[in-house]
Amino acid sequence: MKRLQKETLLGYLPIVPFALIVVCYELLPLAQLAASSLVGKESGMVGLENFIKIFTTPLYQMSIRNSIRISLLSALVGILVAFLAARFCHEASPVLRRRFTMLLNMTSNFSGVPLAFAFMVLMGNTGVLTILGRELDIPLLENFDLYSGDGLMLVYIYFQIPLATLLLLPAFRGIQPQWREAAMILHAGPWDYWFRIVIPNLLPSILGTLSVLFANALAAYATAYALVMNNYALLALQITSKYKGDVQIDKATGGALAMVLILLMVAATMANNYLTKRAAKGRNLV
Amino acid sequence: MNKTSLAGKLFLGLLGLYLVVPFGLTLIYSLFVEWTDLLPRGFTLRNYITLFSDLEFWTSMGRTLVLCAVSVLLTITLLLLAMYVVLVVNRKLAGVMQFVCMIPYALQGVILSISIISLYSGSSTFLSNRMLMLFGAYTIMVLPYIYQGIRNSLNAINAQTLIQAAQMLGCGRFRAYVQVVLPNMFSGILVSALLAESVVFGDFVLANNIAGNNYQNIQVFLNRRMFTSSGLASAIVVVIFLVVFIVTGLVLKLQKNESKEK
Repeated sequence: MKRLQKETLLGYLPIVPFALIVVCYELLPLAQLAASSLVGKESGMVGLENFIKIFTTPLYQMSIRNSIRISLLSALVGILVAFLAARFCHEASPVLRRRFTMLLNMTSNFSGVPLAFAFMVLMGNTGVLTILGRELDIPLLENFDLYSGDGLMLVYIYFQIPLATLLLLPAFRGIQPQWREAAMILHAGPWDYWFRIVIPNLLPSILGTLSVLFANALAAYATAYALVMNNYALLALQITSKYKGDVQIDKATGGALAMVLILLMVAATMANNYLTKRAAKGRNLV
Repeated sequence: MNKTSLAGKLFLGLLGLYLVVPFGLTLIYSLFVEWTDLLPRGFTLRNYITLFSDLEFWTSMGRTLVLCAVSVLLTITLLLLAMYVVLVVNRKLAGVMQFVCMIPYALQGVILSISIISLYSGSSTFLSNRMLMLFGAYTIMVLPYIYQGIRNSLNAINAQTLIQAAQMLGCGRFRAYVQVVLPNMFSGILVSALLAESVVFGDFVLANNIAGNNYQNIQVFLNRRMFTSSGLASAIVVVIFLVVFIVTGLVLKLQKNESKEK
């Protein structure tokens, strides 16, 4: 009996290194982050002091608002374009579909600092489109400020589109061609077909993708940092600025801001899980 | 049915163009002396020659490749050992394992990097070593990708039955895992490892926040060069994208081969 017990304990040995790394670099840091957000910066007491400060300081309020706005808007535009792209791609010939999917796969990797730089070449102060705007006298192109909220929005939309399309494409496989025939026999117009059959059917996938895109934009850092450094009120930028440099790290404010971001991300992830489960219920979706 | 409509072709064409333009223009930009008028002027390979003779480029690239190789290999080893326990010793751990491995996917770089800095940067022990923090962070960051790959392969080859069969033939459990199960998972792990490589290769957040100038990777190098020489920066972007392009192509090809085999 004792030997058996010893053997089982020995059996757990291979998981120890993994557990050690996970505890040291994932679980403990997160626990400490949560704990430091609850220790007041001024008072040093346990409480919601830091959170109250965040929600009453204009800069942090604006950061949270801007982050939610840019994430939501870029996700919405992304999903709109992706819906059309996935629709046409689904209906396209196999060759075209394969080529387009390949292109999506490649461009979905084009993000972060390289993407920010590419947009500087395109629309920066001496960017190609900026010069074009000057030559052809198009004020919208000439005066477009890439290093601003609008600029960030433009770049965020760019990286949302390929991801959104790749995520939506599989859902279209569930749309049967017979549905259209059936709808036509029952005298349904194109509007009825799209808005009363296809879109309701795809809704769980669409909303699920939307939440992935939202979280994706919320956590994006490299693109924004490369474009505006810390000169724009954005949650990811504000959080990081609290931890940069060894001199003074503001764990209290940074921790509380981080908890806000985590809560937003968890909400988006939970929404996605719920929606995918609902989508799977009663239907044979992938 | 399979005749693409004109509107569809037009839409996909325009969208494709839109997606290609930023990279395409950067590529052209990197090949010319200057682009201050409507059209670029003076074809040149100068940017690439300068870049390839820049020692800092090679050291940054080298560091990036070391980070890629070490973190991915480490994570694969740790996870393979851990999954043995889940598979053979205690199945109940599967849920915990999945939860722990998917957390980094939900949190992403910003939270991961600052939580590690927050915990260790003030420490006076060896744990405050920035390099150690960086390797730890990357190991966690690639966890979701490697985990998915290993779990899917284990399920696909029905590992438990294989081990039981080997045991009946007098083989030990661990030996069966190493000699029978692992060779069968090779291609599945390879795909997820390549995916993880492209994640580490494209990372800026962890490298910049944790190591910064102490251990500059290729993305941090690009970010610094961006403000001094745009010609050089455009060449770096092209090189980075080509590497990612090749890795992604490889992943797609391997995935296609695998689905063909089944």
